[in-house]
Amino acid sequence: MITIEGLSKLYGRDVFALDDITLSVGRGEFAFLTGASGAGKTTLLRILLRQELPTGGRIVVDGRDLTTLSARDVQRYRRTIGFVFQDFKLIQRKTAFENVMFALRILGVPDVHQRRRTFQVLKWVGLQHRANAYPMELSGGEQQRVAIARALVNEPVLVIADEPTGNLDPDLSLDIMNLFREINSAGTTVLVATHDRELVQHVGRRAIMLDHGRVVESA
Amino acid sequence: MIRGLQYFVMEAFLSLWRGRRSSALSILTITIALFMLGLFLVVSANLQRVVDEWGRSSEFSVYFRDEAAPSDRDAVRRALAEHPAIADIEEVSKEAAIERFRLDFPDLAQATVGAAENPFPASFEARLRSSEVDVAALGTLADRIRAMPGVADVRYDRRWLDRLASLSGLVRYAGFILAGVLVLAAGLTVANVVRLALYARRDEVEIMELVGAPMAFIRGPFVCEGIIQGGIGAVLALAALRIVLALAAPRLAAAAGGLFDVGALTFIPAASVALVVAGGMVVGCLGGLVAARRLR
Repeated sequence: MITIEGLSKLYGRDVFALDDITLSVGRGEFAFLTGASGAGKTTLLRILLRQELPTGGRIVVDGRDLTTLSARDVQRYRRTIGFVFQDFKLIQRKTAFENVMFALRILGVPDVHQRRRTFQVLKWVGLQHRANAYPMELSGGEQQRVAIARALVNEPVLVIADEPTGNLDPDLSLDIMNLFREINSAGTTVLVATHDRELVQHVGRRAIMLDHGRVVESA
Repeated sequence: MIRGLQYFVMEAFLSLWRGRRSSALSILTITIALFMLGLFLVVSANLQRVVDEWGRSSEFSVYFRDEAAPSDRDAVRRALAEHPAIADIEEVSKEAAIERFRLDFPDLAQATVGAAENPFPASFEARLRSSEVDVAALGTLADRIRAMPGVADVRYDRRWLDRLASLSGLVRYAGFILAGVLVLAAGLTVANVVRLALYARRDEVEIMELVGAPMAFIRGPFVCEGIIQGGIGAVLALAALRIVLALAAPRLAAAAGGLFDVGALTFIPAASVALVVAGGMVVGCLGGLVAARRLR
């Protein structure tokens, strides 16, 4: 699903955020990206979301070389992946239901199908009763569930999460991780960046460890 | 397509309502700019009408020597009739001229009674066709007729027409320049207000980009917001203009006296109304586009 070869990202003249990274994540795999702050996790995720371009190397996701995508292709690519962030990134003036449905709206899916699918996904994350609540009216855990529902609503091939439990207490963190496990068990590739080593050990999946922009462990 | 437009319009109205203070300011700027444009259109249209009326009533008079032969007069009549600026020609005989004088100045009428001979010359009074009034051409015509046999003098309201024509032109040009500056200012205000809305919603825009929303989907509501502001501003400007015109007409009539018929003050033509509204929307659209162009 993800193939990275000799990837590097240089900020300024000599600050390597990523330094000659080579790794791959298979289709249907669940992997963690771990490492201390500044290790390069977020930079790698930003490149995976095509918010940034690498300085060198190659990165291919689901057959697409991210370094050669046009602006329109970037939009198409992003519609095939789901993302979840530490700060949830929900549109504050839209309800939970509207936030989730928005990802379908841009695909031009018929209204009836949009509503049905949105309700299904909200039910799956256990928030069907909070569908009309605005993000401000939801707890951190609930907001992250809404974000996960949005990431899943268009049935992505890959879900990328950047510190999805960073703002949550340990119990809620495990709940969220269980959701990712369920997503993965349905065949979706999941890549979660976290610095929480205990959580990684608890979930017990492959961990790719970064340090100073290099892969130091990938097991 | 229609669903997309619905979404743009809904989002635009929501955004306008959320930022209602800055939106109101932007709409007010457009209203003022288009009000000024409309005002100049009204003033210009009415001034043109007055110029036309005065032009119609202005005369080109040819005075004949007493010894002028009928053939001389016929030659002058032909020369006048052939000119496109001349609407009609009235022949005033020496007798008619003195009669007119007696009627117009009854106090002086006695002075003409018993005079050895009639001092008033016979003349042709030609009325000008206002739309064809070309001051330079009239000057040439006057010179030509003045040189014809039997003609004593030619008089016409040249200076008066000159001034009217240049005043009308000046009002129109000054109006367009001022309105142009104001319209530009309105466009920039819209751009800034939309930019503010964009700034306030930058997180939202980032999220839309992350879920892969097409650029048109992200920009659409902002451009639509500009168009709505422009449209509302134009309608308000026209309504204000209508009200001002209705309120000002009676006062203007009192002030103008019999100089011209203020009762017949006209609003701008329907085509111009549509043009002002469309213009407002175009200005708003451009403002929205300028702001939304920053999104890439």
